[in-house]
Amino acid sequence: MKKIPVTVLTGFLGSGKTTLLNRILSENHGQRIAVIENEFGEIGIDQALVIDADEEVFEMNNGCICCTVRGDLIRILGNLMKRRDKFDRILVETTGMADPSPVAQTFFVDDDMRDMFSLDGIITLVDAKHVMLHIDDSRECQEQIAFADVLVLNKIDLVRPEDLAQVERRIRSMNRMAKVLHSSHAQVPLSSVLDIGGFDLERAVASKPGFLTPEYPFEWAATFELPAGDVILSLDEGPDASMDLVTIALSADEDATSPALCERALRVWSQPALRCRPGSRIALGLPQPVTLDLASAGSMRYPLHSPSGGRFALYTQHLPTEFQLSLQHQQVRLAPRNSQEFAASHTHAQDVTSVGLHSDAPIDGERLNQWLSKLLREQGAAIFRMKGILNIHGKDKRYVFQGVHMLFDGREDRPWGSEARSSDLVFIGRSLDRVALQQGFEKCHA
Amino acid sequence: MPRVGAEPPVEPHTLTTRFRFSVADYVTALKVSPDGRYCALGNGSGELFLIDAASGRVLWRELAHGHGLLSLSIAPDGLHIASCGQDASAKLWNASGELCAQLPGGHSWVEQVAWSPTGDVLATASARRVRLWTAQGVPLRETDDLPSTVAGLAWHPDGSAVAAAGYGGVYICPVEDRKAIRHLRWKGSLLSVAWSPNAQVLASCSQDCSVHFWRLNTGRDSEMSGYPMKPKALAWDATSTLLATSGHSTVTIWPFRGKGPEGSKPLQLSYHAALCTQLAFHPRTTWLASGGQDSAVVVWDPGRSRIAQQVGYLDDEITALAWQPQTACLLAGDARGGVACWDV
Repeated sequence: MKKIPVTVLTGFLGSGKTTLLNRILSENHGQRIAVIENEFGEIGIDQALVIDADEEVFEMNNGCICCTVRGDLIRILGNLMKRRDKFDRILVETTGMADPSPVAQTFFVDDDMRDMFSLDGIITLVDAKHVMLHIDDSRECQEQIAFADVLVLNKIDLVRPEDLAQVERRIRSMNRMAKVLHSSHAQVPLSSVLDIGGFDLERAVASKPGFLTPEYPFEWAATFELPAGDVILSLDEGPDASMDLVTIALSADEDATSPALCERALRVWSQPALRCRPGSRIALGLPQPVTLDLASAGSMRYPLHSPSGGRFALYTQHLPTEFQLSLQHQQVRLAPRNSQEFAASHTHAQDVTSVGLHSDAPIDGERLNQWLSKLLREQGAAIFRMKGILNIHGKDKRYVFQGVHMLFDGREDRPWGSEARSSDLVFIGRSLDRVALQQGFEKCHA
Repeated sequence: MPRVGAEPPVEPHTLTTRFRFSVADYVTALKVSPDGRYCALGNGSGELFLIDAASGRVLWRELAHGHGLLSLSIAPDGLHIASCGQDASAKLWNASGELCAQLPGGHSWVEQVAWSPTGDVLATASARRVRLWTAQGVPLRETDDLPSTVAGLAWHPDGSAVAAAGYGGVYICPVEDRKAIRHLRWKGSLLSVAWSPNAQVLASCSQDCSVHFWRLNTGRDSEMSGYPMKPKALAWDATSTLLATSGHSTVTIWPFRGKGPEGSKPLQLSYHAALCTQLAFHPRTTWLASGGQDSAVVVWDPGRSRIAQQVGYLDDEITALAWQPQTACLLAGDARGGVACWDV
């Protein structure tokens, strides 16, 4: 029997959950949808069945956080499944202050729920204007963001672009696994919130190159071949009032995006920065970062100078697209030899983080199992979510899994075929120890 | 050459079919009238059927509860049928199919309905509330909101109180308005409740793969754990000495005699190929019927043998089971709406 997908909508009061729910229901998708709501909202759509439920969180097995479930969902969904005309999809809307764990865990813990339903995705609506008021203090707010498969930054029409960029960097730093969408009035394509697939880490990897690579203070690296003399770095105003830049002279076989060069850039980044105003000439290959002043309106130009030209690496704090960044020589735009984007780094010291691990070496299934079992037993309460695509030694198929706290659901996926075999794992949780996770994972190499 | 001492495999007899028919959708409830003349069936589409128990002829059918019928109960005198469902109401019908009263359930589904054994009171449960009504559907008593939704409802055998099970334990609500509700506390989520016919023990299935019970005279409670899955079925025999349970393909029977069942070994009955979901003891003899996700209905005689005696099949998971003792037949319904009546 095909499992019925369940989509969970979370988010604070006023973040736009009901608006998104109404949009999903009113769209002509031809699906029969049952909605489990916690209070009577203003929903009245014929093709959907709306069921009012009290959120009843049941503790099982002596109140372990990982074993809390939503008792009302077990009862109601069990009864809904008795109809001949089954539902194509279930939507569960949580109350504003709800902890997402019990609703997610319901679909792993209960035998019947696990057999009949699959958790398709947790969609968290984020009020772009007000979220920063709660994000530091509210555990619920942090957990709703941490649990999400999709984060909808809503009400962007009410915030300035630079504030939006700040919010986005902040939530991305907490949850690097989620897809982030921008919307006003919860206007997002339904295909981006439905049928996203709980296992679908791949999409995140594909849509954000370098997403699982280590975190750097820069979001973009590029290798350029530059002529002697000046080239013009041109930028428009963007979400931030300034941006840091590091340049490094390369030998012919070196590459800006290689891990070795990224590490070198990181060391340069730790030096005190030199502030520059538009128009001032910057020497390429300085042993310190340069802070470009971007507060003026319109286009800003910085001449970059090298006496003899050559191969150079450029690292920018933000993405070039945020500032329409380009490099020109005699009015001709220069294309990089190669470039790579990196996930936004932590901009705040904070509790909830994501850790991404990557390995090209095959993984020993048994050792991985032991490591994960021990890790989840000891730290399961602090690990909110976990996803992975694994290259298991001796297996022709990819192994995909997802977890919620201590609960784990994995299976063999399609064959690797001609695809390059590698493993990616993401953890999202509170006070994660990146180094310990990395070391633990490395011990699982076959 | 047969091995010495090896028991030859005993294949159970096939049950003789009296009649079969279909109610076209998941059988959610199946009850036999006390005089054995008819049975009432509810389905997932919300229809209520009255069937002649001898012939299988449909006496009448009504769309009783839009979206789904959840439970039904037949009055001890057999003159009225109560049903409830996802339309947030309970309904009272006479045996000719006329609607006599509609009992509101607030905003929520009415999930449970049960006539008292004396027939003068009807209990319904909707969300966290238990409501008591006269046989005519006039409100008698309504509890405040209990701490959790009522998942199971069962009358005291003398009709003086009704037990409601949910998360946090069982609440025993006396019919008399002045009497206080008694709370039997348990920290887990209880899914069902059943009084022993002698009224001394209350048993409940629990979400965390156990069966819990209380001895009401002492208030002492015990937990029987170790079920591989959450138990779904619970049935007392007529003598209150056997409690049949299942959270597995095996049926587990706890003996309530002497100091048992604590510390005693349960009787294990194996035949089903998948989870056993329904259990019903014959109201007078020691026969036990079980139904499972394997579509099988099995008749046992656990007082004498652990071997399955008779077997019949429907086409999908067995979702309802009831005895008709007057002419010794057994009725079952399945998840596709198939219904069978077998002579036992």
